[in-house]
Amino acid sequence: MSPASEPILATSSLTMRFGGVVAVDDVDFSLEPGELRCLIGPNGAGKSTFFKCLTGQLRPTSGSILFDGEEIGGRHTHEVVARGIGIKTQVPNLFEGLSARENVSLAANRRNPADRAARMAGEMLELMQIADIADDTVGTLAHGQRQLVELAMVLAGQPRLVLLDEPAAGMAGEERARLASVVRNLAGDNTLIVVEHDMDFIKDIASTVTVFHRGRIFIEGHVEEIMAHSEVQEIYLGKETNAAA
Amino acid sequence: MSALGYWRGVALVAAVFLAILLFVPAWFDLFEVLQMTQYIVLAIYALSLAYIWGFGGIVSFGQAGFFGLGGYAFAVISINMGDTTVPFLLTIALCFAFAAVLGYFMFYGRLSDVYLGVVTLVVTLIMWKLISHTAGPEYAIGKARLGGFNGIPSIPIMRVPFTDREMDPGEMFQYFMGLLIFVYLLLHVLIRSKFGRIAISIRENEVRTGLLGYDIRRYKLLVFSIGGALGGASGAMWATYQTFIDPNAFSLEMSAKCLIWVMAGGVGTLVGPIVGVVALQYLSLKLGETAFINNLVILGIVLVLLVLLMPRGIVPTLHDWLRKGVALVRQPSRGGAP
Repeated sequence: MSPASEPILATSSLTMRFGGVVAVDDVDFSLEPGELRCLIGPNGAGKSTFFKCLTGQLRPTSGSILFDGEEIGGRHTHEVVARGIGIKTQVPNLFEGLSARENVSLAANRRNPADRAARMAGEMLELMQIADIADDTVGTLAHGQRQLVELAMVLAGQPRLVLLDEPAAGMAGEERARLASVVRNLAGDNTLIVVEHDMDFIKDIASTVTVFHRGRIFIEGHVEEIMAHSEVQEIYLGKETNAAA
Repeated sequence: MSALGYWRGVALVAAVFLAILLFVPAWFDLFEVLQMTQYIVLAIYALSLAYIWGFGGIVSFGQAGFFGLGGYAFAVISINMGDTTVPFLLTIALCFAFAAVLGYFMFYGRLSDVYLGVVTLVVTLIMWKLISHTAGPEYAIGKARLGGFNGIPSIPIMRVPFTDREMDPGEMFQYFMGLLIFVYLLLHVLIRSKFGRIAISIRENEVRTGLLGYDIRRYKLLVFSIGGALGGASGAMWATYQTFIDPNAFSLEMSAKCLIWVMAGGVGTLVGPIVGVVALQYLSLKLGETAFINNLVILGIVLVLLVLLMPRGIVPTLHDWLRKGVALVRQPSRGGAP
């Protein structure tokens, strides 16, 4: 693959306005195939809205979104998903009354016959290391476990671009480390965008970071650079530059 | 529940219905048979909502729109054609098409649930107003005069299919009961199909179903249209059963009753709403006989009690009690303290 390969995802002048509020403001964003990108920014910076535009849950006010060279801005969710984008939403969207295994099978069943889907579900749950809770009703699971079930569901849909909205929320210690290794392993074969607040988690999956601020891309760079950046600390962490030292 | 257990339950209910079909006309007198025919028609009407609500997550506050449309369409078509079989089928097709058009605007316009309720309600009220203002002789479709508030009289009685012979009350009871069994089984097949499972997953989590790659608008539209066709069928049956239809078929009361039957019987079941119709209609009939106290007050109290004591509906609650009862009976026999 040549380094100057076509970006798998490219937005240009993407704007989403809610009345007077501009949630996403003229965003030019580009992502290479196989990349793992982190998206950070304070609450209300427009990260989730950006994701919703990418997945057709919101119709952008203006601008374009190219996925694999094809315009997907304003397309319906199912059309976008059919082209190979999967999203783990901020608050997990699961079928609460069903078991973890059934949830993942349903997701796999979209592209595969039932028997293969069931087998894939087992593999996905193994991969997430939650096979022990496979037959528990997801409505009764802890938030961190629900996150993993939803991640398994997303991956069972075999997407080429995976969007993860705060996957580490509600996780700590070993569980979080496990998620980080899953995410690292996905990169390369898959392309990922991860929205996260948890700086330790971001360091763990170490990649290029894009900082959103007030609906715009504030800065892009390597995670170490970004964290050392005084203005980022100011807007994101709310720290006084001098106090950080 | 296992697939086998599920179909065993369905077969049991169908068998009970079949027994009712076979024996009721012989064992009960004419008045009671007529009364039960009415329950059957209303049961199909309740199923139309039970299906879209319980298995597609669509709460329609205007199911009477289809009931009324079905009644009027059947009246007009059958009066003009003189037959009943073809008009009955045409009515169902018309109501399906009407639901499809209305549903297209609602679902493809991405209306949220609340607005969907409002739109269905308002459309029904508009139909009610419209049909109430058709009193003059100029409001006629072919040989059928719409008659405004007075409605349409002399609607043909249901004929034995493909003959000219009118059904007697016993035959009509059996025919309608057969239709109820057919609808009941058809809905179960639909619910257990891949289409039905996706519709249920939309009810459970619309966002995730969309994110799995299913076009939720299309599924909801089809569910809603099937509900519309069933509502229309029940309206047509109502018209031929009474040989009369008036604008009250479109009324708010007719829509509200349907919601109450389904709620009382149990959303998410098909037997529940049928039980709801029979129980509540029988109750209001009996209460109507006593001049002792306003029966609406008692009916209101019964509904409040139902909501408080059986919030999930009659059938799911009874089902739970039965299971707990069986477990209680079995437990002591498994040994324990001597």
